[in-house]
Amino acid sequence: MDAITVKHVRKSFGNHSVLKDMNLAVKRGEIFTLLGENGSGKSTLINILTTISLADDGEVQIMGHPIMSDAGLIRENISLNSQTVTLDDEFTGYQNLLIIAELRLLKNAKTEIKQISERLNLTSFLNKKVGKYSGGMKRRLDIAMSLLGNPEIIFLDEPTTGVDPKNRVELWNIIKEIRDSGKTVFLTTQYLDEADKLSDHMGFLNDGKIVLYGTPDEIKKNARRFVQINVDSPNVNLVNLPEEMIISKNNKGTSFVVDERNTDICIKILVNENVSIHSVVPQENSLEEVFFNVTKIDSEGN
Amino acid sequence: MQSIKQLMVLTKRILKQNLTNIDTVITVILMPLFMLMFFVYVLGGNIAMDGVNASTGEYLKYALPGFLLVAMAMGSAYTAVRINLDKTKGFLKRLHSLPIKRWVILGSHVLASVIFMIISESVVLIAGFVMGYRPDLSVGNFALFVAVSLLFAFTITLIAIPFSLKANSVESAGGFSYIILMLLFVSSAFIPMDGMIKPVRWFAENQPMTALVGITRDLLNNNFSFTSSNSLQSFVWLIGLIILFSLLSYRRYKMFSVKL
Repeated sequence: MDAITVKHVRKSFGNHSVLKDMNLAVKRGEIFTLLGENGSGKSTLINILTTISLADDGEVQIMGHPIMSDAGLIRENISLNSQTVTLDDEFTGYQNLLIIAELRLLKNAKTEIKQISERLNLTSFLNKKVGKYSGGMKRRLDIAMSLLGNPEIIFLDEPTTGVDPKNRVELWNIIKEIRDSGKTVFLTTQYLDEADKLSDHMGFLNDGKIVLYGTPDEIKKNARRFVQINVDSPNVNLVNLPEEMIISKNNKGTSFVVDERNTDICIKILVNENVSIHSVVPQENSLEEVFFNVTKIDSEGN
Repeated sequence: MQSIKQLMVLTKRILKQNLTNIDTVITVILMPLFMLMFFVYVLGGNIAMDGVNASTGEYLKYALPGFLLVAMAMGSAYTAVRINLDKTKGFLKRLHSLPIKRWVILGSHVLASVIFMIISESVVLIAGFVMGYRPDLSVGNFALFVAVSLLFAFTITLIAIPFSLKANSVESAGGFSYIILMLLFVSSAFIPMDGMIKPVRWFAENQPMTALVGITRDLLNNNFSFTSSNSLQSFVWLIGLIILFSLLSYRRYKMFSVKL
């Protein structure tokens, strides 16, 4: 059974359609990352999955429970970390955790707070007021609040935004550790390197639909591939290459990138023009390139 | 039972936030006290009542009911601020994803707000006692005085909710409380209306605060009657505002979160 199933979900705000026939399945015990540009509907989808708002159409199941009929049960099994930290600065870390523990009606609140604080290296700060915490510590405490009550699915909406590199790596380790403890993590992020390093599966959300889905390696492998053709010296004959085939070129005119499918045609043209080819190097696909290509292709309507 | 327990946890949280925040304590508790002392000891002796300058004691007896309402009105700004802060920092979202009934979340803000306003009102009342104020009221009138205070606190809390959910920042969330304070200043709360210019006087006589100050004064001075103009107007205003702002609050909250 999948942790999350989304079938044909649609959501509009007035005339603006945010999610259009959205389909998605997130497996249990994995880190799933949802990527998309600002305003692509990531938070709208999270709001629907966490029972905060309703889809206009379609079906959503969390741990096999339909969201429309079992919202109460679902809320016991999920937790949400918003884009902003939800802490009360005037309280200590312990008091913040205790509020959530009491709201979840935990019987052994103190023991659970102690265990989670130890897991997230928060013990020594627990009795200090949160107003004195650094940004990274606040994020950790915010995630600790989400772990109280042992929920099965943790929704993390851009948890590392605004966090310094050192704390970002610490948060990555925490997210991996949550997954390793058997929980499902639904993550959104602006950082593609983060998605690449953390995700078991990921999806690109564009124009209200998942346009790419797979493991980071699958996505990179199946994406459009490019080669870099290097020539020995700047040559005016390069201009004979059809402009639409050149993805990019350097200022000197000695190196240019083309779609892998056009390599043979380009080489043939260059040879016919007596251009001396120095090397042809396949380009390593990064998620960033895949992401930009996907959004570019879609915005151009191709 | 579980919902009541969760209601208490959230109410305690908001009360603790208010009582440990120095800015809130200064604005809602110390500021009304300062205003009370300033009006009574500095201005009071210069205000004519029935054509003669009032003594400090006479002015205190006249103005204290108005200051009780001022203390509560100032508290309403912080009701709006707390709700707005929970909205903007995502705490409301977190609560909505937890197994908590929707009414508990907003209910805790309402309950905490009413309790905080009653604390603020009590402090001003005690200060009035220390300054020499002696009400003349029966047990029945005292119970009615408490009931009117609770109703007033509930009403201005309800007024705060749609503003706080609509506002995009904490700074603008509490702004509506100035309207309530302005209404109190342009009423019979601090000075008799006789000397006001005609249009202002007409406005003062027909706006809710004059009737509410009047009923509070009547209750504390043992002049209360259910059929008096102050009583009838106050109940009509309070019930009308409660109905109107309950609907507006419900509508605004529903836009913010669905009931599942």
